[in-house]
Amino acid sequence: MPWASKDTLERIKHSFRQINIDIQPHFVCINVEDTKDITNILKHLKDVEDFRYFIDFHVIDFPKEKDRFLGQYILVNPYTFERLAVKVWFKNNKLPTAKEIFAGAKWAEREAYDMFGVEFEGHEDVKRMFMWEDYKYFPLRKDFPLGGIPEQKLPSLTEVLEGNTMPPSHDYDIMHTYVPTIKEIEKTEKSRITKRGQLVLNWGPLHPGTHGTMWFLFDLEGEHIIQTDVILGQLHRGMEKIAENIHYFQFLPYTDRMDYLSAVCNELSYVQAVEKLANIEVPLKARYIRTMFAELQRINSHLLWLGTGALDLGALTVFLYAFREREKIMDIIEGNAGFRLTSAFLRIGGVHYDLAKGTLEVAKYFVKDFYSKLKEYHGLLTRNRIWLKRTKDVGVITQEDVYQYGLTGPVARGSGVAYDMRKIDPYAAYDLVDFDIPVGDIGDVYDRYLVRMEEMYQSARIVEQCIEALEKMPENEPYVNKKHPAVIPPKEDVFNDLEDMVKSFRIVVHGENMPKGEVYSSGENPRGELGFYIYSIGKSSPYRLRIRSCSFYNLSVFPKVIEKHTISDAVALLGSIDPVVGETDR
Amino acid sequence: MIKLKRLRRDDSLGPLESVLFLDFIKGLTITMKNLLRKPITTQYPKEKITPPKRFRGKHGHFVYDGTEPPSLQAIQGFMSFEKGKSRCVACYMCQTACPMPTLFRIEAVQMPDGTKKVVRFDMNLLNCLFCGLCVDACPVECLTMSDIHEMAVYRRSQAVIHMDDMEKIGATNAKTVRELPDRIWRNDKERETLWGKVKWNF
Amino acid sequence: MNDMIFTAIVIAVKILVVLAVTLGLGAYLTWYERKFAGHLQARRGPTVVGPFGLLQPLADGLKLMTKAPILPKGIDTKLYYMAIMMALVPAIMLFAVVPFGPSFKIMGHEVKPIVANLNIAILYVFAMGSMAAYGTLFAGWASNSKYAFIGSLRKAALIVSYEVVLGFAALSVILLAGSMNVFDIVDSQIKSGIWYIVYQPISFVLFLFCLLAESGRVPFDIQEAEAELVTGYNVEYGGMKFGIFPLAEWYLNVLALCAIATVLYFGGWSGPHIFGPFSGFIWFLVKTFGLLFFVLWVHWTLPRYQAKDVVEFAWKYLLPISIVNLVATAFFVYFKG
Repeated sequence: MPWASKDTLERIKHSFRQINIDIQPHFVCINVEDTKDITNILKHLKDVEDFRYFIDFHVIDFPKEKDRFLGQYILVNPYTFERLAVKVWFKNNKLPTAKEIFAGAKWAEREAYDMFGVEFEGHEDVKRMFMWEDYKYFPLRKDFPLGGIPEQKLPSLTEVLEGNTMPPSHDYDIMHTYVPTIKEIEKTEKSRITKRGQLVLNWGPLHPGTHGTMWFLFDLEGEHIIQTDVILGQLHRGMEKIAENIHYFQFLPYTDRMDYLSAVCNELSYVQAVEKLANIEVPLKARYIRTMFAELQRINSHLLWLGTGALDLGALTVFLYAFREREKIMDIIEGNAGFRLTSAFLRIGGVHYDLAKGTLEVAKYFVKDFYSKLKEYHGLLTRNRIWLKRTKDVGVITQEDVYQYGLTGPVARGSGVAYDMRKIDPYAAYDLVDFDIPVGDIGDVYDRYLVRMEEMYQSARIVEQCIEALEKMPENEPYVNKKHPAVIPPKEDVFNDLEDMVKSFRIVVHGENMPKGEVYSSGENPRGELGFYIYSIGKSSPYRLRIRSCSFYNLSVFPKVIEKHTISDAVALLGSIDPVVGETDR
Repeated sequence: MIKLKRLRRDDSLGPLESVLFLDFIKGLTITMKNLLRKPITTQYPKEKITPPKRFRGKHGHFVYDGTEPPSLQAIQGFMSFEKGKSRCVACYMCQTACPMPTLFRIEAVQMPDGTKKVVRFDMNLLNCLFCGLCVDACPVECLTMSDIHEMAVYRRSQAVIHMDDMEKIGATNAKTVRELPDRIWRNDKERETLWGKVKWNF
Repeated sequence: MNDMIFTAIVIAVKILVVLAVTLGLGAYLTWYERKFAGHLQARRGPTVVGPFGLLQPLADGLKLMTKAPILPKGIDTKLYYMAIMMALVPAIMLFAVVPFGPSFKIMGHEVKPIVANLNIAILYVFAMGSMAAYGTLFAGWASNSKYAFIGSLRKAALIVSYEVVLGFAALSVILLAGSMNVFDIVDSQIKSGIWYIVYQPISFVLFLFCLLAESGRVPFDIQEAEAELVTGYNVEYGGMKFGIFPLAEWYLNVLALCAIATVLYFGGWSGPHIFGPFSGFIWFLVKTFGLLFFVLWVHWTLPRYQAKDVVEFAWKYLLPISIVNLVATAFFVYFKG
């Protein structure tokens, strides 16, 4: 079990009287009554109880409560893999900062400030994380409308001005939420860094090395980076706000668009959280299909990392070799889900379709071929002296950094932290297949490279085992648990069965009310732990849905590690951290 | 407990390897091997790969042609359908299921004989996620997604599709895609450039 | 008098031929490289314009020339334009000392297929090679862009370090041949019947590294490094102004240096007379393009060094090796002959 055990909770309770312990089936937290104690409690948890792995910090807004904002830390003990949430109310919109205790809290607190307008004592220079500096509102507060506050005329979006009113119903409103001007963005840029080196290099927002719209400010001394700042938010769409306003099943396609390189894995993490909340059993076949596709997606995502990472370091050809294999995985996913990238293949309670005919043959053919291709990649890079020179001892992330900043996934495993949700808290069919967790020891770019390469190998192994299991299964085995009241029945049943049709109507129109409670559930994405925290008040949409983004926390270590390195190292390091902007910004 | 695999880290070259540039030679042989392989690309505008059956492309309406599922047969008396026209019943399920409901504009009127007639079904595809939730929600197998994926237009208003476009798409779709076996791809030959020959078990 | 007119005509023809051939060849090398890279990467390369995409270079040129001329803000206009010339001219001038084949006779006059038969040809090559750095430097300085600036500084550092190694590497061949004249070097190889690569494999490898470095090819393309510096020093150039840089650096420079390497290490035009009267020319081209093929092959296979590693590599490894090699060659020459 990944949640804190009774003994641990008892011990904590023994040390601190002013806390309540709240145990739910998929969530264990301690409520800290007095805001002043939070620093001591966090310190105690970190130093004495070994909850030193910072996973997440987020805020929930209760406009009707006296103190309104509730902060919540999620910590993990990296030795016993116990997970624990710590809840604390903000006092007068204020909470003592935790950035001295957990370095990763720095960015999390900035995000909390950006989205809720809460303040942190001791974290004075708290800056906007995603929005620009002069933005007036705090979007995730409950009183901020979903569509934003329309206050700016943006006629370019409509065709009314051109005299074209057909069809009028599909024109957009002329009034639009406020859009930042160049001046405001420049102001944001200027306020972020006080120049210490010779020149400030704007690396991004559109730059081939950043893999997306990420914006780095490098303060350079020659080619060496003295300090750096990351400006995010170019792809911020307010996923968490959207999720609060639509039914659970409707949010699924949005999860595809977070880490768009690993759509199935995102879906799996989300669907799993909802299933835990609603207590839905998933049929074995669906579990195997999920596992198989998640692992194919992992290979897919790692191949893109390999290709672009090698491209960054100048090996132009590896990119296309990686894309060749990636294309095959895309074909498999497209043939089954209907879409290549944002597949929306999983459903709450199972998968959308049964496997298409021929999937297993094709997947088998792919995996068989893939091992030799993997050898090719190794031959091109692993022992190449230039590759070694560029990656060895570059961007070393220590274990302490991993715990402090909440790094997960291959970044953590490259530094020797064997933190993998697939083993710690097996979901889908991961407990039924055999695979190893590769672990590095130094934590440099080369180690992360090796870890990812090995993970591709292990994923291929898992896919093989899933194919084997699926081949043995009878054809008409159920792929979705349609008996559960919260699961939309498959299409054919809706056409033929009145009961299923009524059920489908009910869920689509009203949504299925989920039980009250909280769930934090996470899956192992190619980039790390993607967690979904759902606070349900018994409605058909979550009261608060928090996405614990792995890319976001993984990226937070970048400014620290890159110091005193060169720009070329920045490329290598960023490639090895492999953030996806869709997920950092959400 | 967790099965760990400590990675073997061979990160320094031997003397022979570094003097004779064996690492470079290894890489060069691999690229040379690939140079002799056949290209795997499809020359896009000239050759096109047909999307698989399950592909989620431009939306269409299946038409009223006698292939209705039982769910529609039960209520078709209340609808004023025409042969060869959309079989939409204006239940608004698609719009309700859509994460971005404003992209639909559906209107229906009551005919003099008391039946219901759908007069408008517009979709603004610029707002569409192509997630397929609307197709899943349709209880009468009317809304469908075709394999049309080239949807670039010159004006925003052209991206709004209307019921007659959708009927046409649906009618072709019913003839071509719907009857296909549920296979991972439609055409083995097209995929051969990338995949080579795959052995099938059926 | 007659002789003088004849010589003038011959030189004019030579210059025209060399210009036409090199510029045309330079353009077609883009096709060659793209086709090669395409097939190496399981693609097809250009196929649309003309048969096998053979008209692609023309289409590219047309596209580049018809682009809107854009001048960035705050540039040093004179230097900005001069940089283009400074990049192109030395690259073309390198071909002045490339012997395309054995001397032949026209109307009783001996004609050497070389524009300028200098007796310090190799020195001239070094000089022109270093000149190319100015184009890069000017471009980086004049563009008023940080990326361009960093890229040009990297290139300057690279040229400074690799020129030295190049000199020492070529010097050992010169020692063996006893001359800096390209004809003498080839003749001495033909006479002894052994190419200098047999005597000087180390020197050849060094020369190859310098060739890659000077022409900004992988693994030494640090000044362009698109993932770091977008495209480095030419980031602010557009249209044909931009097109000149890769043409000069990636194609003309490489081609010229490959030709020089052929002269130094592969016996120039020497080879069995199997292609009739043009055998020498064809052998020369075959060898040059073979070398070029290798350069492209390396380019599309290897990753890229870091700027500091490149310079370190030159000073710490290549230079000592080249000096030792030179000294050993000197001893060899002294005691042997």
